[in-house]
Amino acid sequence: MIRVQSLNRTFKVGDEAVHALRELNLDIDSGEYIAIMGPSGSGKSTLLNVLGLLDRPDSGKYLLDGIDTVTLPEDNRAAVRRTHIGFVFQSFHLIPRLTAAENIALPMMLAGTDPGLRRKRVQAILESLGLEDRAHHRPDQLSGGQRQRVAIARATVMKPTLLLADEPTGNLDIHSGEEVMTTLEALNKGGITLLVVTHDPDIAARARRHIHMVDGAVVEDRKT
Amino acid sequence: MRFDDILTFTGKTLSSARKRTWLMLLAMSIGVGSVVILTALGEGARRYVTQEFSNLGTHLLIVLPGRVETSGGHPPLIGGTPRDLTLNDAMALGRSSSIRLVAPVILGSAPVSYRQLERDITVLGSTAELLPVRKLELGQGRFLPAGDPSRESAVTVIGSKLKKELFGGKSALGKWVRIHDRRFRIIGVLKPSGQSLGMDLGDVAIVPVASAQSLFDTQTLFRILIQANGREAIPRAEKSIIEIISERHDGDEDVTVVTQNALLSTFDGIFRSLTYAVAGIAAVSLGVAGILIMNVMLVSISQRTAEIGLLKALGSPSGQILRLFLVEAGMLSAAGAFIGILIALAGVWALDRAFPAFPLSVPVWALAAAVAVALSTGLLFGVLPARRAAELDPVRALSGK
Repeated sequence: MIRVQSLNRTFKVGDEAVHALRELNLDIDSGEYIAIMGPSGSGKSTLLNVLGLLDRPDSGKYLLDGIDTVTLPEDNRAAVRRTHIGFVFQSFHLIPRLTAAENIALPMMLAGTDPGLRRKRVQAILESLGLEDRAHHRPDQLSGGQRQRVAIARATVMKPTLLLADEPTGNLDIHSGEEVMTTLEALNKGGITLLVVTHDPDIAARARRHIHMVDGAVVEDRKT
Repeated sequence: MRFDDILTFTGKTLSSARKRTWLMLLAMSIGVGSVVILTALGEGARRYVTQEFSNLGTHLLIVLPGRVETSGGHPPLIGGTPRDLTLNDAMALGRSSSIRLVAPVILGSAPVSYRQLERDITVLGSTAELLPVRKLELGQGRFLPAGDPSRESAVTVIGSKLKKELFGGKSALGKWVRIHDRRFRIIGVLKPSGQSLGMDLGDVAIVPVASAQSLFDTQTLFRILIQANGREAIPRAEKSIIEIISERHDGDEDVTVVTQNALLSTFDGIFRSLTYAVAGIAAVSLGVAGILIMNVMLVSISQRTAEIGLLKALGSPSGQILRLFLVEAGMLSAAGAFIGILIALAGVWALDRAFPAFPLSVPVWALAAAVAVALSTGLLFGVLPARRAAELDPVRALSGK
């Protein structure tokens, strides 16, 4: 599903060039559950951004579902993001003035989906997450775990094939973190490919494949 | 993205930042309001003057003694002073086929008294033709009798204000008043008509021109008012006036003919450009409002950087984000223009109540232009912030940088 070959990404920090990704190769099959670990600055977030089409590599190949994404024009990349990829962020990134239901419906609204269909899908996803009674609450009226689960609902409402989560439990207590991980894993069981970037070994241990990065390269790739 | 969704989304954004939104609406509405009010004032002034001129009469030409020379050339070596216009000159003008009516006018000031009451007023010496030429209206009685203008007659028609001051509520018709050292019988009273080009027609006494000549001991006419034989006849009338007078004045063209239309179009033009100038000055405030919108939107974009990053991550192409922010600027401008028009209409209404004589009105073109300018400044100044938002790098934007 994902085929990455000799990916390079360099940032300029002052006069110095920092190699966030260095000749990185990676293959990911559909439905995998992967934890990406590594110290700060090892390039794991950059990898996630490149895989999520938010960032463009300087060189290398990245095929997503057979689409060569590196040469794709920006607007087409946005379209691929919309249909193929869901993001879950550490800081949730919910829009504060919209209710939970409106936040979940946002990707469909941007895509121009019919309002009737939007309501139906939001309703279904709220029910599956047990958040029906929170539908009309704004983010500041939700707990951290609920916020992240609303964010997950938003990330999956377009039925993407790839779900990218950057430290999804980083801002949560253990109990809420557990809740969020269970939600993500349930989605993975449903067939979605799940990539989680994390510092937390307990969270990482739940995945079926572990990728360890140092200095922009994969130093360990282990399946359990 | 559906257009109704863009509107709801932007509406929610604007209503969640209430202070910012009101600030921008205020700036825009002041701009639009001042453009509309000032245009209404300018337009009102133009209409007022135009109306005054049309009240003077129809197809009117005014003959003044003396030549107003604007084309340069040598001053005459001998005989610098022009000849006076006389009653015979005026009568001679009646020969022209393009002239329908001629009303000679002598103007002077004299005391008018009835019993113990005395008033200093303007005395107009003229003929029966003055009534139609000058579009006067009688309230009571009749006007000066037609007949040989060189014959004196001790009758007078007085203005309504003078009548009220001398006679109060009682009838003035048939009463004898003393003007200077002569006695005149009142045969008519003018209808109240208010000011007309600075001359209060309520405060005059009109006497036959020959009587005025002997009253003021002069042969000189103040001017001659002429009604041409229709609108197309005005240029011919003007030509024949100059021909007839110069023939009578030994070949000197020593009169000036002013046509009402020339006056009207001159003033019309002056006031029109005045209106445009004033509207232009007011439009500067619209520009200021546009710059304010730009600034506030730039601030708002830097506060919403992470949100823009999120929209990009959710698959929003740059064009869509650009559109979102342009619609925001457009909605602000449109709402500001709407409030501004309400303010302007309220202001015009209040001014209209305060000064009922002044024909204030809001020209439709001014409303349309103000809204168009407001929208285009809003969008124009919205483009820069919107483009900045659209061009944000999603990774950096998501981290709030």
